[in-house]
Amino acid sequence: MLVRQVDGYIKIFMKGNNSLNTKYLNPYVAGMLLGLILLSAFYFTGRGLGASGAMKSVVTSTLNTIAPNHTSNSEYFAKYVADGKNPMNSWLVFEILGVVLGGFLSGAFAGRLKLKVEHHPFITSNKRIALALSGGVLFGFGSQLGRGCTSGSALTGMAVFSLQGFISMIAIFGTAFIFAYFFRKNWIGG
Amino acid sequence: MGPLIPQEIISLDWNLVIAFVVGIGFGFVLEASGFSSSRKLAGIFYGYDTVVLKVFFTAAITAMLGLLYLSLFGWIDLNLVYVNPTYLWSAIIGGIIMGLGFIIGGFCPGTSVCAAAIGKIDAMVFIIGIIIGIFIFGEGFPIWKEFHEAGNLGSLKIQDIIGISGGLFTFLIIIFAMILFKTGEWAESQFTREEY
Amino acid sequence: MIEEIITSGRMNHEIDPQLHIWGWEIPLYLFLGGLVAGILILSGVFYILGREERYPFTIKILPIVTPLLLSIGLFALFLDLSHKLYFWRLYTIIRWNSPMSWGAWTLMAIFPLSILWSVTWLEDLKPQWFNNYKWLHSSLDLLRKYRQKLAMIMVFFSLILGMYTGILLSAFNARPFWNTAILGPLFLVSGLSGAAALVVLFSKETREKKIFGRIDLLLITIEIFLLIHLFMGFLSGTQVHIEAAKMFLGGPYTTFFWVFIMGFGLVFPGILEFMELRKFKVPTAIPAILVLIGGLLLRIIIVDAGQASRWLY
Repeated sequence: MLVRQVDGYIKIFMKGNNSLNTKYLNPYVAGMLLGLILLSAFYFTGRGLGASGAMKSVVTSTLNTIAPNHTSNSEYFAKYVADGKNPMNSWLVFEILGVVLGGFLSGAFAGRLKLKVEHHPFITSNKRIALALSGGVLFGFGSQLGRGCTSGSALTGMAVFSLQGFISMIAIFGTAFIFAYFFRKNWIGG
Repeated sequence: MGPLIPQEIISLDWNLVIAFVVGIGFGFVLEASGFSSSRKLAGIFYGYDTVVLKVFFTAAITAMLGLLYLSLFGWIDLNLVYVNPTYLWSAIIGGIIMGLGFIIGGFCPGTSVCAAAIGKIDAMVFIIGIIIGIFIFGEGFPIWKEFHEAGNLGSLKIQDIIGISGGLFTFLIIIFAMILFKTGEWAESQFTREEY
Repeated sequence: MIEEIITSGRMNHEIDPQLHIWGWEIPLYLFLGGLVAGILILSGVFYILGREERYPFTIKILPIVTPLLLSIGLFALFLDLSHKLYFWRLYTIIRWNSPMSWGAWTLMAIFPLSILWSVTWLEDLKPQWFNNYKWLHSSLDLLRKYRQKLAMIMVFFSLILGMYTGILLSAFNARPFWNTAILGPLFLVSGLSGAAALVVLFSKETREKKIFGRIDLLLITIEIFLLIHLFMGFLSGTQVHIEAAKMFLGGPYTTFFWVFIMGFGLVFPGILEFMELRKFKVPTAIPAILVLIGGLLLRIIIVDAGQASRWLY
């Protein structure tokens, strides 16, 4: 009984605006929660969130397992395996493990767990996969050059007033806006 | 007085456990607000779904205000909080490349992990792409090493550049964000709403 | 000049300052032993309760793998021995106050019991194999008359198997981390939980999967409770016990334990099973596999941490 009442309140709370009966959380509420999570990360550990660093750790570990000599001699990756350090033993890797868990749980609660390729009906699945791959390569390269991605550099950076954070944010979103016109077919069709 | 781990108020070995718990919260909120859908993420660039704008700015403002208040109450020492250093040119060029990657792929690393966790195959492919991209960067590092390390201005904060206080800057950001939110709501109302 | 020869266990570098004599073989054996005990207990208990129609997988099919699992476990145990050729000496005597002796004889008893038990059900599962062997038919009929008694003896020995490994470890007074009575029930519950996870993973009947999913949820909850009380017991004990507990609360084992064993191995599968209970759609394979991996990791970390804990600081 009580569970159903609380459930009802949560549904009202969660209903987004624009009168769409959506299963997603109200974006302003979500933003506040995200801000509080970021804040608690700062309070407990003195650093914010991130994601691309964890992927770098994965690449370094894999390279180290396959070709340890090459990794120790590589100018970029060597510092992460110096003195027998394990690159997977990092804050971001464990954070990403948590993201997997948290995302899975949220998807399970909302019934969004499904293996599929999400794309606009205008383009095919295969095209979407190709786009995702190319986008990923670009993002991977760019995140290393720019020392961070939207979560690590832009979001966390903005919260601590870092200049790098604001520059990253303006560069990423600005560029995406400028080039949006050229890729409109993939997202909004004609 | 925070932050706790850098001052060893709690043992350093809890650091990774806290990272894990923070990650769970991060992933849950991201997925619950819809960031696990590339179509919702790209929506901000065309106006049909401004969830990225709302969540991003609200989160940044909440955290900014939070840090300022905590610092005011003496609950956190802002000098011990990590500020990522400014590398001017690599930030701009890296940002441009990332922006391209965003509009083509429709994800960023954090959201792609979230989406992959609920089964989106395009997100898993995106992650593979990121790994390839990082590999290319690492292997070719001597070529762009100079560029990568140029323009190091240290851990600069906005206040140092513009010369206004943190609080005033946050206030301006809030005003700016509110204007953006209103624009976003208007833009969304121009489209028929679909649930992705 | 008088020459004095001093011999002390502390001069053995593998004991002092840290014990490191047990590698991966013992945790693997502990895990498989617990799993086998869990499987046989579930099978026997539900048979005695008369559920053989409702839970055919648990009672009839799953016990078939137990001789294999037990053999692998015993082989791992054998690999760990330093004087491998003398293992048979364990079976020349029963020492009533030695957990190791209890263990050796229980394993000796469980092996044939599990084979007999699985064989009695083989005819129900694959009647075509027995068409040409009528003489087997009558001997199996005889066995079947004694199924109830067989089940009860099997459950008795399985309980001992599940618990004796924990009691064996707790007999090491010199290793404060092991020196607790909770290890016995903890390993038993962990083994039962792993067996229930196997049922959820491989059974074909939806009702069986659902019921054992709930049993697994209950067992996970009990296991979390026991682990919390393990630490509470340590923290209210002597200084060496407090130091042993501190290894997991801000010490070297903190991350591994809380993230992988508690997080991925117990709490997360528990939440998923609870959501199943509440009619959310969750792929049931995920909590089951995580529970099994968590059980193995738990044994590994307990064996490792126990060897790292010591009396002298």
